[in-house]
Amino acid sequence: MQKRNKYTEIEDFLADDSFQSWVRTNADLENWEEWTLENPIRAKLVEEARLWILAMRVPENNLHPSIIQTALVATWNKIEKNETTTKKEIKLWNNNWLRSIAAVLVFGLLASWAYSHLFIPTNSNQIYNELVHDNDEGLVEQTNNSNKPQIITLSDGSSVLLQPKSKLSYPKIFIGNERRVYLSGEGFFEISKNPQKPFLVFANEIVTKVVGTSFRISAFSNEPNVEVLVRTGKVKVQSNEMVLTFNKKEEITLLPNEAIRFTRKNSTFDKITDITKDETLIHSVRSIEQLSFDFSDIPVSQIFKTIEQAYLVDVEFPKEKLKDCHLTTSLNDQPLPEKLKIICKALGNNTSYEMNGNQIIINSDGCNY
Amino acid sequence: MNIKSKHTTVLDDSILWSELRAGDEKAFSVLFEKYYEHLVRYGNSFSNHSEKVQDCIQDVFADIWLYKHSLSDNCNVKAYLLSSVRKRIARLQERDHIFRKIASTNTIEFLFDFSIEHQLIIDESSADKVNKLNKLINLLPSRQKEALYLRYHQGLSVEQIAEMLDVNYQSANNLLHRALLNLRKDWSTNIPLLLLLSHSIL
Repeated sequence: MQKRNKYTEIEDFLADDSFQSWVRTNADLENWEEWTLENPIRAKLVEEARLWILAMRVPENNLHPSIIQTALVATWNKIEKNETTTKKEIKLWNNNWLRSIAAVLVFGLLASWAYSHLFIPTNSNQIYNELVHDNDEGLVEQTNNSNKPQIITLSDGSSVLLQPKSKLSYPKIFIGNERRVYLSGEGFFEISKNPQKPFLVFANEIVTKVVGTSFRISAFSNEPNVEVLVRTGKVKVQSNEMVLTFNKKEEITLLPNEAIRFTRKNSTFDKITDITKDETLIHSVRSIEQLSFDFSDIPVSQIFKTIEQAYLVDVEFPKEKLKDCHLTTSLNDQPLPEKLKIICKALGNNTSYEMNGNQIIINSDGCNY
Repeated sequence: MNIKSKHTTVLDDSILWSELRAGDEKAFSVLFEKYYEHLVRYGNSFSNHSEKVQDCIQDVFADIWLYKHSLSDNCNVKAYLLSSVRKRIARLQERDHIFRKIASTNTIEFLFDFSIEHQLIIDESSADKVNKLNKLINLLPSRQKEALYLRYHQGLSVEQIAEMLDVNYQSANNLLHRALLNLRKDWSTNIPLLLLLSHSIL
């Protein structure tokens, strides 16, 4: 540290990291104090430089680590969007190029209905009918009378896995500022993201609104209750004003692994902050909620098998042509059509899919890498 | 302010930089996490549209990754990042009238105000000095303020600052020197007092 003996200007001091840290933190690792006292002219310079540093504070703005992480993910998304055909290795980041089409929110919602049907036999159905009747968007009603879940694709790219003995009403095309659908029974929803058009599920006494980024809700049946459970992201649940005429305007925000139970008998909400501790909730988890869609160098045939299990659909694909194709991708939180789109895109331009009810057909000449 | 020794920082950065150029995603993420906050602070000095600033910074990083093979091997990462962010914001301001209406790349304005290290000031008379100095510094033309910021807070060299502000070495040196010189002139009335003070402290 002999260079400081040649310091003649306050600039020299200001540019010295060790000097700065002595002033700011009192960490005098290089004996600045002693060195200063050696020489009165030097002391004058040092004091002036000190005042300069004190007058030139730059406040830390302390970004929360989660903000930096979000920004990092956003950056990878940008990269992914720009990296087109040149890249040989297929690697999909969370919410990658889809952001341009529509990032995807996923939520599942199960509204229990059967049990309560016994107690208040007409009430729920009345509400459903009333709600559907009030909507003038020209709704399509789909009832699942089979004993297997049915997949429904909505006009915005969202998908709904409708459980047996359940029905869903939805407009052919969503118009207006909101996307509204009506559920009676149980359904698992995967919603394509569109902040301008919130997605609302009217399930008898409650309204569930999609407000955040990627998330998932599910709730469980065989209870005299309506339940909503969030897997990832954020949703808002509100009581349906038509039912609660005394209208408390309750709105409850749910975060991942939180749930809400609406007790029909006394029209109250109970928030469940730890779903793992709730007996009824753990026992009614559906396969789609347990399956992971994170694939790391997995044969496509295996990925199609997972999709078959999750959505209870049949996937037909050219097995011979695709036998050597492996993918690394994360398809969690994507509606079924998006999942298929991503897989097709990853396999190559000559790959496409068709969907007819519960039948999915993949057309491909093989993967191009 | 980087309390860490400058040498190790530079060493780490150049290792990370060459790993990044070779396609190492981890190195990319480490550099991102290390500098994002710095860059946000710097970027916010040009605009109060913090979201757009962050967007620019993310674009800078995205470009670094996308064009990693054409990046120069020998570069000061921090200076490169600061300079890229500055250019990007300038370009955006030029293009986007909503962002901030301004004409040329050279005229984007450094709107940042330095504050005071209150907790480090014990006595009233030095508090007065520092207050006055702080006011004077904040009244400097924005380019001089920016030069001071880059030199003494980001630790850039005069050459790097010259390159960033698109002026020659001498002009950059002048920017820095003039800033200090003018201030010391304005401030000179206080110097005798200051001397007394420094003796009393030390």
